[in-house]
Amino acid sequence: MGPALVLLAGMLLYPIIYTVWVSLSDFDLATFQPGGWVGLRNYQAVLADPGFLQSLKVTGVYLVIALPLQMILGFALAFLLNVEWRGRGLLRALFLIPMVVAPVVAGGVWRMLLDPLWGVVNYALGLVGVGPVEWIGDPTLAMVSLILIDTWRWTPFVVLIASAGILALPTDVYEAARSDGANRWQILRHVTIPLLVPVVAAAFVVRWLGAVKMFDIALAATKGGPGQATDVVNLYIYEKGFRGLEFGSASSMATVVLLITMIITYFLFRLTRRLENRW
Amino acid sequence: MRRFLRLGAVAAAFGLTLAGCGSSATEAPADGGGLGTAEKPVSIRVIANDAFAKQWQDQLVPEFSKKYPNIKVTVDGVPYNDQLAKSMLELTSPTATYDVVLGDDPWFPQLAKTGGLVDLKTDLSKFTDAGYDWGDFNPSPLAAGEWQGHQYGVPVRSNLLLMFYNRALYKKAKVAEPTKETTWEQYFADAPKLVQDTDGDGKKDAWAVGTYFTKDPLTPTIWQTVLNSNGGKLLDDKLKVSFDDENGVKALQTQVDLLKYAPPGASTYQFNEPLEAFRQGKVATMFMWGSVYKGTAIDKTTTTLSEDQVGITTLPAGSAGPGAHRGIWSAGIAKKSAHQAAAWTFLQWVTSKEGEQWVGANLGTFPARNSTLQGTPPAPWLKPVYTAITDGYAAIAQGQMWRPRLPESDAVQQILALQTSRAMSGQATSKDAIHQAAVDISALLKSKGYAQ
Repeated sequence: MGPALVLLAGMLLYPIIYTVWVSLSDFDLATFQPGGWVGLRNYQAVLADPGFLQSLKVTGVYLVIALPLQMILGFALAFLLNVEWRGRGLLRALFLIPMVVAPVVAGGVWRMLLDPLWGVVNYALGLVGVGPVEWIGDPTLAMVSLILIDTWRWTPFVVLIASAGILALPTDVYEAARSDGANRWQILRHVTIPLLVPVVAAAFVVRWLGAVKMFDIALAATKGGPGQATDVVNLYIYEKGFRGLEFGSASSMATVVLLITMIITYFLFRLTRRLENRW
Repeated sequence: MRRFLRLGAVAAAFGLTLAGCGSSATEAPADGGGLGTAEKPVSIRVIANDAFAKQWQDQLVPEFSKKYPNIKVTVDGVPYNDQLAKSMLELTSPTATYDVVLGDDPWFPQLAKTGGLVDLKTDLSKFTDAGYDWGDFNPSPLAAGEWQGHQYGVPVRSNLLLMFYNRALYKKAKVAEPTKETTWEQYFADAPKLVQDTDGDGKKDAWAVGTYFTKDPLTPTIWQTVLNSNGGKLLDDKLKVSFDDENGVKALQTQVDLLKYAPPGASTYQFNEPLEAFRQGKVATMFMWGSVYKGTAIDKTTTTLSEDQVGITTLPAGSAGPGAHRGIWSAGIAKKSAHQAAAWTFLQWVTSKEGEQWVGANLGTFPARNSTLQGTPPAPWLKPVYTAITDGYAAIAQGQMWRPRLPESDAVQQILALQTSRAMSGQATSKDAIHQAAVDISALLKSKGYAQ
């Protein structure tokens, strides 16, 4: 138990403690180590940084749109794939492809697909007289594109979890409902959804934890631009730290994001427990 | 309780182990580690960018080994975005994993500030070959490896922003080809004519310009060049922000205006996209790093164009002269390296007159020596390129056309990248973007102790 704990502490706790330490220090580029103690100065600077606040806002917009979209699409597709029809197996296999594509590759490929001059998406739109559309160049459409790419990438994951949940539903409950004269809608509302609540909750929390870390797709597809239109918080932190070498500020931001994530995750857990008990 | 004590002891030991990582730095031997023998060869490691590390390992190193068979060179490639941080970590660690450290143009002040690099001119003079001519280097590329009066790096892959132009598209548009005297006013007067329908199907299929437009630290280098060629500077001699004026706004607006004459979707152009557009004959001019010339005009596997179709010159001139922008990869030697003599021997060979000739002919890399630039090029196609490079070096020296020479250079470019992108996408006017960039850079420099 002891060695395992030490290993865990080393692998998990040490980086967090080091990050907090850096966030409270003046990082010295000459020694490439935390230098003098500056207290909360980095935090004050970060909380007054409009770029950081904007990146939090951008992340919020992305999460509020992308997560529900992926959950609804994922479960809807899972229901479709759960019904017996020809070619279902092939589609199931194809669905896994986006998940195994490296995010940088996915971002790059989508950039090509959406390119107004060379991209197949604009070519197809051109056939019906639309375009060319500046998918990545326009601030609003860039966010739409980012959410689309992320949804393409992560919906299969939700489909996978949802399919497992649907397959595990007890058949005797459905037989009982049908013998009581329940129609399809009633079965969905009073049997399927209540039984699936734990699965939905688990899928949502897992997906939330993944989505809040998102930055690779944004880096590859839009670089956070135009301006800060798609500058999710992790990308902003990465650029501050590893490109701008402002490790003090970047560590403060990372700590703030960690705290926000932990608080929201705690409330999400409480909410899911309440939903499970209610149903 | 006892269990907690035990755990505490283990954690303390773990902490001490980590703390121990920062002690007992190695010292370089007085003889520089020698050049090795057949029985005992010397091994050196080079940290380079992954864009050319393999080329160096596969082609450059075997050539060097013909002359110095007892020096074994290993070149490790690192992705560009990770290279600066990794190099900083390397130079501040107690032991040297790498003997030779390569850095891009704006990085050398940061690398030098670690104190982990040697002054090549003074510290390694005892290992310098008598025929190694420092005075032969063109001052522009050599300055990239210099910081606070010390020569920490030597130029190994010289590069600069130049203007490429497609002669066929100029001819079709009945526009005179650009020269180093062409001004921005003339360029913009010609640009609408260069947006044309080349195949007569009624649709525009060729545009005037391709260059960096997306949110990237290299994108502002275009308008920075315009600023410099109009006599402006990003920071004055006292390192105070000096571009929040009409000159700065005009420079940024110049790049924003270029978008009007660029292909659809050009606002996302970084490095590959304008290059591809030019090589496919879609754009008449391209503001790009000169090193892509070989792949754009000569190498049939990467371009549809031929040598006689591709012209190259400096960027259009401002009120103070033509434009270019420095982008030199320099190489330095780690102070903690145990093989400084071998490492310096390798770098001397790469950057010698003989080495530059070989590198120019076989790798297409640009030279930094005046004797190479003014001599007979190793291949005929290099002649116009060397002329453009010579003009470019002169422009760079005259207009101080480089990114800020500060350890905070990359942070400055990040700010410029963001504000440039805002202006490009219409989220801010050029005036507002310039002002915001000036405010942010001023705040950054002030927080780092610079008087603002």
